[in-house]
Amino acid sequence: MSALRLISNRTSQQALANSDYTWEYEYYEYGPVSFEGLKAHKYSIVIGFWVGLAVFVIFMFFVLTLLTKTGAPHQDNAEPSEKRFRMNSFVADFGRPLESERVFSRQIAEESRSLFHFCINEVEYLDKAKQSQKGPGLESNIHFQEVPRSSGMFEEDLNCLTKFNIPNFVNTEQNSSLGEDDLLISEPPIILESKSVMQSSHRILD
Amino acid sequence: KNISDFSLNITDCTQVVVPEEVFFTVAAAGILENLLVLIAVVRNKNLHLPMYFFICSLAISDMLGSLYKTLENIFIILCKMGYLTRRGDFEKKLDDAMDSMFILSLLGSIFSLLAIAADRYITIFYALRYHNIMTLRRALVILAIIWTFCAGSSIAIALFSYEAATVIPFTILFPLMMFFILCLYVHMFLLARSHAKKIASLPTTTVHQRTNMKGAITLTIFLGVFLCCWAPFVLHILLARFCPHNPYCACYMSIFHVNGTLIMCNAIIDPMIFAFRSPELRNTFKKMFCCAR
Repeated sequence: MSALRLISNRTSQQALANSDYTWEYEYYEYGPVSFEGLKAHKYSIVIGFWVGLAVFVIFMFFVLTLLTKTGAPHQDNAEPSEKRFRMNSFVADFGRPLESERVFSRQIAEESRSLFHFCINEVEYLDKAKQSQKGPGLESNIHFQEVPRSSGMFEEDLNCLTKFNIPNFVNTEQNSSLGEDDLLISEPPIILESKSVMQSSHRILD
Repeated sequence: KNISDFSLNITDCTQVVVPEEVFFTVAAAGILENLLVLIAVVRNKNLHLPMYFFICSLAISDMLGSLYKTLENIFIILCKMGYLTRRGDFEKKLDDAMDSMFILSLLGSIFSLLAIAADRYITIFYALRYHNIMTLRRALVILAIIWTFCAGSSIAIALFSYEAATVIPFTILFPLMMFFILCLYVHMFLLARSHAKKIASLPTTTVHQRTNMKGAITLTIFLGVFLCCWAPFVLHILLARFCPHNPYCACYMSIFHVNGTLIMCNAIIDPMIFAFRSPELRNTFKKMFCCAR
């Protein structure tokens, strides 16, 4: 390593006449380093460095934990399906392989709808006409609050997904995921079994 | 070798030696693991996505780091056994080449992590246009640019390592990149949180008020592992440049081999926290090993 070479060169310059320039891959030759009269412990840099690093990492962890607190108020809800709708990890459920369920349940509808929450930023760029047809969650932040919870919405959602060419979300193999939970874990946001979704995802991939 | 005894106390800082078996085991494990990731991505057509290409880039740079350490150890052994001359010109050139390989590995790691973070950022903030923004071709172009730049810088740094001017930018680049990556991820977190709040404001939804630890833990692991594995070595380079004869610095530099082993541990851990998180990649592995039987 170049650092090795640096040390070796310096050492060789100050070397005694009878010692060779032991080439760079040898261990360090520190030369006339005096260890007398040290005020602090000799490994103080090592200890200080590692303690500082640990403190920094822990500090970073706490800051991130604070950032990910949602702090939203509790709300009661009678519908059992919505109890599964997790606020903190609104795409976290996407990471769970739905192939174990293999049914199109309301749960999938809920999760696919929460997918649109990510697409909110993109809404302004999209065709208004399409949005007005498809409605849920795609027009603006305000509109998605009006998402109806009817059972027929699921098919519409799928159509929305196909129309808007959502990249890689509706896909069996996924790149980066999107929720707080799985934000940095590359698990599929949605694994859906429907043929239409598969077709759309393959189209998206192409 | 008698030099080191000159005017030193009995309590001087001797080199901390890592046994060669440990060294080679760690290096071999790192190389194998990253090679597996590469093979899996190449073989499975479903994994031909920009994100997996960036993960491959990270795997390649990890492999280079481990390879460097392995070759270095082999050369030390060969020197001890006398097969290589110590002052040969060929050895010096080889040393230069290997130094540049190592710096290439470090720069490649940093830029790959940056590319992965940027890719995830675009996925979240430009979700519907992601497929148009980050096409396969663009991803490959970005990777080509990154690796060309890294190769050029590493050769330049290895050739001009005597100048302080090369060491300082090199050590500044490291924390700058980390900070930038951290900012990207924090911004992603903030968006996720604001979205969660909006969802929570829906009248008909239940809210689980809890701190989401998993994301924070994951990000801390990402950046913490990278920092803990590379920062010791970067500090070593700084100290070697600026205070080689200071006893405190010398004591820090005596743990050089431990720092090197840490870098190879990074090569082992990185695939676990990036590549193996993907179920598709794991399935590809299973298929590969099942077919091999």
